[in-house]
Amino acid sequence: MPDSTPLPLDEPTEAQVREIAEADVLVGIPSFNNAGTIGHVVRAIIAGLAKYFPDARAVLVNSDGGSTDGTPDVVARASVDLGGMLITDRQSLLHRIVTPYQGIPGKGSAFRTIFEVARRLNVSACAVVDADLRSITPEWIELLIWPIRNGGFDYVAPYYLRHKYDGTITNSIVYPLTRTLYGLQIRQPIGGDFGFSGKLAQHYMDQHVWESDVARFGIDIWMTTEAVASGARVCQSFLGAKIHNPKDPAADLSAMLTQVMGAVFALMEEHEQTWIPLHGSKPVPLFGFQYEVGVEPVHVNVDSMTASFRQGLVDLRPIWEVMLAPETLQALTATEGMLPHVFHIPDEVWAKTVYDCAVAFHRRVLNREHLIKAMTPLYLGRTASFVVETQGLTTREAEERVERLSEVFERFKPYLLDRWGASEEV
Amino acid sequence: MKDFWDAAFVEQLTIIGTRIVHFLPNLLTAVIILGVGWPLAWTLGRGVERFLRMMGVDHLADRLGFNAALTRSGLKPDPCHLVGRMFYWGLLALTVVASLWTLDLTPVNQFATTFLGYIPHLLTAAVILVVGMFLSNFVARATLIAAVNASFPAATTAAVLTRWGVLLVALAMALEQLGIARNIVVVGFGIILGGVALAAALALGLGAKDLAKEFLERMLSDKPRDRAPDDLRHL
Repeated sequence: MPDSTPLPLDEPTEAQVREIAEADVLVGIPSFNNAGTIGHVVRAIIAGLAKYFPDARAVLVNSDGGSTDGTPDVVARASVDLGGMLITDRQSLLHRIVTPYQGIPGKGSAFRTIFEVARRLNVSACAVVDADLRSITPEWIELLIWPIRNGGFDYVAPYYLRHKYDGTITNSIVYPLTRTLYGLQIRQPIGGDFGFSGKLAQHYMDQHVWESDVARFGIDIWMTTEAVASGARVCQSFLGAKIHNPKDPAADLSAMLTQVMGAVFALMEEHEQTWIPLHGSKPVPLFGFQYEVGVEPVHVNVDSMTASFRQGLVDLRPIWEVMLAPETLQALTATEGMLPHVFHIPDEVWAKTVYDCAVAFHRRVLNREHLIKAMTPLYLGRTASFVVETQGLTTREAEERVERLSEVFERFKPYLLDRWGASEEV
Repeated sequence: MKDFWDAAFVEQLTIIGTRIVHFLPNLLTAVIILGVGWPLAWTLGRGVERFLRMMGVDHLADRLGFNAALTRSGLKPDPCHLVGRMFYWGLLALTVVASLWTLDLTPVNQFATTFLGYIPHLLTAAVILVVGMFLSNFVARATLIAAVNASFPAATTAAVLTRWGVLLVALAMALEQLGIARNIVVVGFGIILGGVALAAALALGLGAKDLAKEFLERMLSDKPRDRAPDDLRHL
């Protein structure tokens, strides 16, 4: 049910929005304690807007979650010597709005404020970029906004060059599953940096999801899925390497997985009428000049991941017995005696595992949070298997493996439909 | 002699006879109440069971983990049957009490009154036990998953201890509600809980001092951990 109640903004922001009244382009940055990196991001945006959209009435919105390290000050002070960057076009004034967001702490709530500002200013094209990016360049702004303003697209997903072990939830679950379900080969559906039309921002605001996992990590997959399901025209832009500040990788894995997979599975239920009849997938237009670039090395500890999976096989077996089909669990159990350097979970088994989890979520066979958290060792096992399998491969070759996995997901879609109880509808 | 005979036997027999004649309608009523109430309780119990089955309560209980809790408690995992039987026995108990009441006998009336006064306690204790069973199942599962995800080696033991901890609390509360050995339950429970807390504190203090120090330092200072297992970026 659409929720068109305007989101209240804080008083200074309200006043600023009233003063600006209308704009053409908006770029949003959600932030929380990103003083170390956000200056670079803001400078890239200023330069990008000046260089590629000099005539546009542009607004930069920083939606902050209560940073204590001076992030808003860095945003307010950041500046660029445009002459030094050989930008000589006469410039429209760039407005900066630095505002706190309301609601559940998380990226989704920050985006909600950005969407609200976009709605009030009636902008035609928007982009959002992460505040911890170290590889953003002015060209990103062109690549995220140009297809909206000039190409007739509604949604631009990012296309990055990433290390083969960077974005493993995307590679092993979210990309293959999203592609299979919605029939579009969007390589980075949870990339974090997107372009979208003002109309789509309005559509996002109308959805009543802001108290759910969407308000946290789930926002990225939600935006992509909503765009696809609402019939928006979708494209991708090649942004080069994505290098961002490292986070403690093991600290929040379970919570991260809960929020991302909770959103993916909930969206499967919401849009089942969209994905059930679809077969196969098609490529999505890709803009930008593609090139090879060196990516940061990623160190992986396969032993700890396989150990986690094996502990799951023993300790979580009663829960996995409820979540997974008996033959899937049997296939996973067959990995028990494998040594770490030959550890392997076949693509077919992994696809069925993810589908079984989606069906278990749909049928509520367990408390949903427990169900997704119990997926963590499964995911670590599959990641270990992928690492073992691709250890000697280049990033490009590993990418081909991801494509092969996605094809297996597509081939097993009838299995999902059958277990979902949708084969008759098809 | 005739007067004595009349006073000693005939008069008494007349009184007994009169009492029996007065009592007979009560007895008949009691038998009728029991005769009607028993099959009615049985029919209603079955009706409730069928209605719940029709409403899909079986599946709901399965999803909520109630069936698993029943199995673990050694009961048949059939909540509709269970509720139906509880309904039957409850109605039967009420029928028996009502029929006893109609007999209008002082000791029986006293027993019936005491029994009726005890019913709320019985119900409360039953609810406490059921909720405790359900909660113990939920909390134990959450503990097990969290412990496995944290690579805690004794995850199953932690989950079992959690389950029994919650069940013991529920059992102590239920017994307290029933008024059974109230003091022993409270004192015993206090001793067990205190003992467990003391043992845990000693174990942590003596055996895992460094681990606790590292954990607290990380929590309070918001510092990243020294030894990251890898730098895999999941998203």
